[in-house]
Parts: sequence; C-alpha cells; structure tokens
Amino acid sequence: MKKNSKKSIWVFGDYRNYYQNRVTLQLIARAVALAKVIDAEVCALIFGHEIDEWIMEYTAHGADRILAIDDPALKSYSTEKYLAIIERLAGERDPEIILIGATDFGREFAPRLAKRLKTGLSADCVGLDIADDGLLLQIAPSFGGNMLAEIVTERHRPQMATVRPGTFKEIPHDNQRKALVERLPLMKNLPKPRVRLIEYERSVEKEHTIENASVIICGGRGMGNKEKFKKLQELARLLGGDVGATRPVVYAGWADHDALVGQAGKHIKPKLLFSFGISGAIQHTAGLGEAHFIIAINKNPQATMLKMADVAIIGDASDVLNHMIRELKKRIRE
Amino acid sequence: MQSIFFQERTLQLNPCAKHKLIRDSVRTFAETELAPVASAIDRAATFPREIIEKMRPLNYFGLQVPREYGGAALDSVSAAIVVEEISRVCAAIGLCVTVHNGVAVYPFLRFANAEQKKHYLPKLAEGELIGAFSLTEANAGSDSASVETTAVKRNDAYVLNGTKIFVTNGGVCDLALIFALTGSEQGKPQSSVFIVESKYPGFLRGELEDLCGMRANPVSSLFLEDCCVPENNVLGRIGDGMKIGLATLDNGRIGVAAQALGIAQGAFEAAVKYAKERQQFKKPIASLQTIQNYIADMATEIAAARLLLYRACSLKDEGMPFGCEASMAKLYCSTVASRVTSLAVQIHGGYGYSKEYDVERYFRDAKVTEIYEGTSEIQRMVIARSILSQLIL
Amino acid sequence: MLNLVVCLKQVPMVTELPWDEKTGTLRRDLAAGMMNPACKHALEAALQIKEHHPANITVITMGPPAAEEVLRESLALGADQAVLVCDRLLAGSDTFATSLILKEAIKKKCPKFDLILCGAYTADSETAQVGPQLAEELDLPAAAYVEKLEISGKTLRVRRLVDNFRETLEMEFPALVTISMENYKPRYTGLAGLESAFDKNGVVILDAKALGLTAASIEKKGSRTKVRKVFLRKTQKGNVLLQGAASAVVTEFLDKYQRKIGTVIGKSIEEKKSDEKK
Repeated sequence: MKKNSKKSIWVFGDYRNYYQNRVTLQLIARAVALAKVIDAEVCALIFGHEIDEWIMEYTAHGADRILAIDDPALKSYSTEKYLAIIERLAGERDPEIILIGATDFGREFAPRLAKRLKTGLSADCVGLDIADDGLLLQIAPSFGGNMLAEIVTERHRPQMATVRPGTFKEIPHDNQRKALVERLPLMKNLPKPRVRLIEYERSVEKEHTIENASVIICGGRGMGNKEKFKKLQELARLLGGDVGATRPVVYAGWADHDALVGQAGKHIKPKLLFSFGISGAIQHTAGLGEAHFIIAINKNPQATMLKMADVAIIGDASDVLNHMIRELKKRIRE
Repeated sequence: MQSIFFQERTLQLNPCAKHKLIRDSVRTFAETELAPVASAIDRAATFPREIIEKMRPLNYFGLQVPREYGGAALDSVSAAIVVEEISRVCAAIGLCVTVHNGVAVYPFLRFANAEQKKHYLPKLAEGELIGAFSLTEANAGSDSASVETTAVKRNDAYVLNGTKIFVTNGGVCDLALIFALTGSEQGKPQSSVFIVESKYPGFLRGELEDLCGMRANPVSSLFLEDCCVPENNVLGRIGDGMKIGLATLDNGRIGVAAQALGIAQGAFEAAVKYAKERQQFKKPIASLQTIQNYIADMATEIAAARLLLYRACSLKDEGMPFGCEASMAKLYCSTVASRVTSLAVQIHGGYGYSKEYDVERYFRDAKVTEIYEGTSEIQRMVIARSILSQLIL
Repeated sequence: MLNLVVCLKQVPMVTELPWDEKTGTLRRDLAAGMMNPACKHALEAALQIKEHHPANITVITMGPPAAEEVLRESLALGADQAVLVCDRLLAGSDTFATSLILKEAIKKKCPKFDLILCGAYTADSETAQVGPQLAEELDLPAAAYVEKLEISGKTLRVRRLVDNFRETLEMEFPALVTISMENYKPRYTGLAGLESAFDKNGVVILDAKALGLTAASIEKKGSRTKVRKVFLRKTQKGNVLLQGAASAVVTEFLDKYQRKIGTVIGKSIEEKKSDEKK
C-alpha cells in the first residue's frame, strides 16, 4: 500500500454507546476543522461486526474516509486486537494525528496505543488547535486548578490526543455527504490475544442515572458541611433531578463516589445544571461541557464557576438553597 | 466538627514520620466514623457500640500493651496522639479510650502477675473486655484514702461490699479495678485493688449519670453486694492499694491531658474557620484585632500545653519519675481546654450558643477535664509537694 | 506464593494548589501529601488477595523523599517490601517517562512478579495513563477499571464496568490491573503494624543510576510531549448576574426563569396570582 500523499487525521470509532455517547462524531467535527488548516483528510476507524450503520453515520457526520474492518472476531471491543490492528495500519499509512474519545475504553486504549506507536499523547484535552508551525496544539488542564497547558508532540508521529465527550460539537447529520469507504479484511498473523472475554453484556442496572438526568444539582465545598450538602437532595427531589458532587466533597465523605461529576467522574449532559458552592476547578468544569443551562451560586464573586454560568448568583450557597426550596414548594403544581 | 478534610495541620509539633502517620490514621478514622454521629450521641447520651467495634481491630484498646499480648506497643507520645485525635472529634469516646488504656490496662502492665497478664491482657488489648477504674466514692473524691468499700477474705475469695460512683465506662465495662479496704496497718487504713469482672454475681451497675458533657460516655455507679472475687484476682499484693492508685493516677493524667488537648484543638480549629468565614461590618471577623488576639492566645496556649504533655510522655518512656510533669500537663491542658472552648463559643457569637454548631459541646466537654482524674486543686497540691519535697531545687 | 506489586503515588492533599507567579510552577511544597485514593484501593485489593492466598506485596512509588510516607503507610497496612524511586533527574516526568522508570524499578526489585496493581487514576492529574503504559512497557495482558479480582492458580479473572458494559475477562499471570474506586474500600490503618513499618531498612531507595538511567536516556526514551505554554483559562459566558438578599435573589431568579425551568421539569412554577383563593 503506497503512502497516501495527503495527510490524515484518524478518529477512532467508539461506537458501542452510540446513542448516548456522541464523542466520535464530536471528534470528527473537530478533525474536519483542523484538517482544513493542515490540508488533511479525516478518516474514521471502525472495527467490529455488522458495522454498516456506523459507516453511514460517520459519513453523514463529516468523515472523508472510513477504514472499516467487519469481522465476527471483532464482535466485542478488545484493546489487544485493536492495538495490533492499528499498529499495522499506522505502519502502512502513517497518520499525522489520531484522536480518541476519552470514554472508559478510550482512556485505557489510547495510552497503550501511544506507547505501542512510540509517540506522545495528551489525555482529556479540552481543546485542539493547529499551531503556526502546523503542529497539533493539545490543550489540557494543568495540575489541578484553573491553568491550561498547550502541549505539542514535536518529533513523533502520529500526534495523539484523547478528548472528553462534550468538548466539541458534532456536525449535523447530512445524508448527502459521501466518504471513501475502505473495507479491509481482518489481518492474518495477528498475535493471539492474551485477554479472554468471558462475559460481555450491556449493564441495565441503573436505568435512571445521573448521566441521563436532565436536571442536576451539583454541590461543592461551599455548601459548608455534610448536613447542609444533603439538603441538595430536597431541591433535586422538587425538580426531579439528581445530586452531583465535586471531588473535595466526595473525599470529605459528604457524598458517594458515584455522585462525582467532573473529568474523572460521571459524564453528564443536563438541560439544567445548578452549581452550589463550587469554585470551578477545571477537573470539575471540564465535565460540564454538555450542560445546556448553568445556574451557579457562590459567595465569592471571583469564582470561576460564576463566569461559566448562564446565571450567576452571588450569595451563600446554603442560604440560597434553603430559600429556593421554600419558594419552589410554594410554586410547584402539576 | 466537620474540619476540612486533612487541611488543618496547625501546631503539629512532632514532625517524626511515625507520629504523623499515627495522627493521620486516627484522624481519618475519627472524621469518617465519629464526626457524623458525635453530635447525635451527645444529645441522646448513647454509647456508639458499633463504632467501638470498629476500633477494636485497629488496636485502639491496646495502645501500649506489648505485642506478645496483642497490643500496639506504642510509645507514650504516640498513645497521647491517638487519644488527642479521637477527642478532637468526640471527647466522650476519647474518654472511653483513654480511661481503658490509661487507668484500666496500665495497672495490669505494671502490677499484674504473669497469670493475670496472660488471662486478661489479650482480651483487654483487643477490646473484647472494656475496662474501668473505680476509686471514687460518695465520701472519697479527692480524699481517696477515705474509701469505704470493703473486701473481706472468705475461704479462697474476697467478698466486696460498697458503692463506687462516677465510674467512666461504668455502664459498659466488662472488667473494673476496684479499690477496697482490706484492713488497717499501724492505725492507717490499708487498701487493695481487685480485678472484678462484670459477670461476677453481686456486681451491679447503677443508672447512667445525666451529665453536662461527655454524655456519650456511659458513666455510672457500680454496686458491689457480696460480690465474690477469686483471690487470684488481687492486683499486686494485699495492701498495695495506695501504691497502685498513685502510680495509676500519674499515668491517667497523661491520657486526660491528651484528651483535653484534643478538645482544645478541635474547638480552636472551628473558631478559626468560623472567624475566616463570618462577615460583619463587610469583612471577616478574623480581620478584627480582638479576634486576632484571641486566636493568637489560643494557639500559643495549645502549643505550650502540647509541649508539657509530650514532655511528661518522654519522661515516662525513659523510665524517669514523671508524676509532677504529668500533673502539670493535666492541670495546664485542662485549664487551656476550658479557656479555649469558652473563647471558641464567644467567637461564634450567638451561633456558638446553639446546638446547631458543635462548639457548645466542646465547651461542655472541656469543663470536666478540670475535675476528674484529680481536680485542678489536687494537681496543684501534687506539684507543690513535689517541688517542696526536693532537697535541692 | 503470589508476587504482587502495587504502584502508588503520593498526591497533594489540597485539590487546588496555589500557583507561583514567578516560577510558573505549582506550590506543591505548601500541601501535605497523601496516598492517592485509587492507589489505596489497589493496595486494599492486594491485601485482600493476601488474605486468601500466600502472597508477598512489594509497594513502589516514584517521587520526592516525602513520598516515603506512603510507603511506610503501606508497610503498616501489611505490605512486605517498599521501594522508593527518587532522583532529581526524574522530577517532572510525564506518564510516558514514569511508566518507563517504573518498569526498570520492577525489573530490578521484583522481576518475577505475578500481578501488578495500580490505581485507575490519580487525584491530581487524573490521566489514568501510567497503568496501561506500564502494561505496554512490560508487554503484559491488562485490564483497567477493575472492580473484582479472582485468582485460581495462574489464572486471573476480573470483573469491571466500562462504558456501561459489564465485562468479565480472564488472563494468565504475569498481568497488570488498574483498580477503580468502586470496590475494595480501603481499610483503616491499625496501630499494631506501625512500629515495624518504620524500621530503618524498611524502604529501599533507588536513584536513576541504580536503575541504569541517565538524563540522556530518559530524554531519548521518555517524554514525547512538550508543554509550550501554560495560561489561565478564559471562561466567559455572557451571563446574568443576580445578587442581594437570598430571598429576594431567589424570587427574582424564579420569576425570570420560571418558564424555562417549568418546561424542563414538566410542571408549572409560575407564581400564584394573589386573587386566587385556596
């Protein structure tokens, strides 16, 4: 296979939660924007079995090319198999950039792939740009707080980044769009996988989780103490929502770990997000990209969270909460 | 007292890594397990048995018991840190731990014979048996020589009769060290110490006391009505009562000082946190000079108290006489606890007087540290006697 | 006898460290350290394995001298050996370099390991990369975000929940797992193990030279990425600002957005008009 003269931006097709998780489409959209600057093509990778639907979707959402391998052996995700496949393909085709969504799978897969390809990787990027010298600018949070770092991979290729769902906006579905689809056979002589899949099933445990809540009441240390924090439940109940927490709150034992909202926590996309007593460290706010409407309450007028909100209320979080509960109880009717 | 998790590191005067780890470990436990219930158990005056059960595998009941008996074999500073950290969150449970270790287990370590040690120490260290120390009676508080509980030899047992009051851990103890009159020696009353298990017939517990503070600790009277105690359960020898009593109280003072220090530390942290958050006249009250003076005084007194306590601990571990220093530590730590908790309430203003905040509990808990285990007046007596009895100052 | 290796990290205790304007670096010196919570879960998993199988636990961490604290804590909890990789040269390593350095330390101190356990992610950088990269360095079968481990003979079975899929995977030793915080709740540190945990020779310290690493070799095989710039986030949404007494602010807020909120929650929250009788 001769080297394709045009540069290529690869986007890993993480399709298995397609309807809840649009990160691949979001990355394709961003890749399209980046591709314009460096004159590249956007290529989506899909490895699985019976993948025609995803081929059509990724085409309709902006991919220029699809590299698809459709084989029963790839019916379920396998880090090992994908590593071997991409190692082969990358060796043959020399992509400029590989983007992977920071889902649980992506976060385990991408670092291993980077090592395998002996290249650099920035995880959980909150932005991607092209620098003046054509390098991929990987914008990622820097060590706890409100700082961001611009990171580049100078000498090694491909340049790799993982990106959280909700960071970018997908290109709207367009049936008219066309892509060059390469259906490749599963390579022979791939190393035998050492990890065997015994059981694999979609978890239906929690139908209603914070991840699909349309109203989320998030609380931070500004709530004061555990008792006051627990009152957020009442507001959540009134509004039919769920309670989320920041990391310091979880570590202080005011909330369980499964209420953690932020980069390493649950991926949320509420229509309404209330943010009580949260300062706005990036580990938390990086997880809020998909919230539609944010109302933030903080007594510190300089708090970053206030700047990120649609409505910023300056006041004591617990006080405002109590008043809000009282008022809503008076007003709510079916 | 919801201290910001691990962030307040004020006044840690032992940078030794081992002491830091002990402090961190116990603080984690106290803040996770005790903090959520401390207020409720104080109001209801209930003993949190489930939390005690969680303390047992962590060796909180065998702080200075040797490893061969299943204890943690900690040095005295480490043991003081354990008591301090528990008391910083919940003084009533800190009291349970320090009384068990300091005045129930300690006499076993010093005065028990090999058989008694083998039989009782492992269970005490494990917390399977909770210990108590009963000296005080209605007519014998500071005047401990005036005990009226009697122990009369009958065949191969001693029959005990009498009433002990204000026994810490009394409501739950499985074992109590009872001081009783066993006769007289050259006209002076002779007393001895008996290891009495709560299961012995004739051992009865009174109602739990309804106290101002330390309410979650089950303090009660103990009634001995023809209680038969095997003669093997004499601690030390007949007539050793005074000797054991004095040695035990010396040691107990260190534990109570640590407890008082913990109370002061907890109240102090709460006061500083509140002063930083509370705004009046458009600024935090921590910016007012009066409040700053209070904070400076509290911090300095706590630092001095801590040094006195650790000095007594060091002397004890070196095998030197430490009674006077232990008294100084107890006297000063308890005085500081009362002063600091009172100031802490003051700094909280009206809210400090409300049960919505924890600081009023600290205020109530602190007071008794000036009274039990030897009142402040008795401590002064001990210190003065120690100084005046020295040939060279 | 199972040979377990637990990789730990000491992280700052404060979640938001102050920034030193002059040097452009974090004031990490201002915060006390603690064992990274997910690493604590990994250690707990190892301790629980040891309760059911004869096992030897070696804990390793890379960090400044203060990182020894988390190793002592591990020894107090029941680990058997502790290794500290400490060298000025290695400071500032990214995950790529860290995984390389840990590999060398493991090859040197416990080459015949059966299972390496890591925390799934750290509280300070959260990239969750070291585990998978270490697995790649050592060419091991691996699984991340593990909630449950089952060992029989040389076979390891793990259960995990990833992206809403319940997976049970099986692999043979030697292997690597990263442990999530869903399970293996860390036990409290008891007091009995503390004295022996502070034995003078309890912690072995390795510097770069001991691992056969030089500045040049780390440069060459280490970090592939470079930080070009660090800057303050610009976060401005055109927003509406409300302030005043809490009750007034709440009333203003609800009046202004009652329709929006009502639509989302499917109920009306419009204020009752005063002439409406109850």
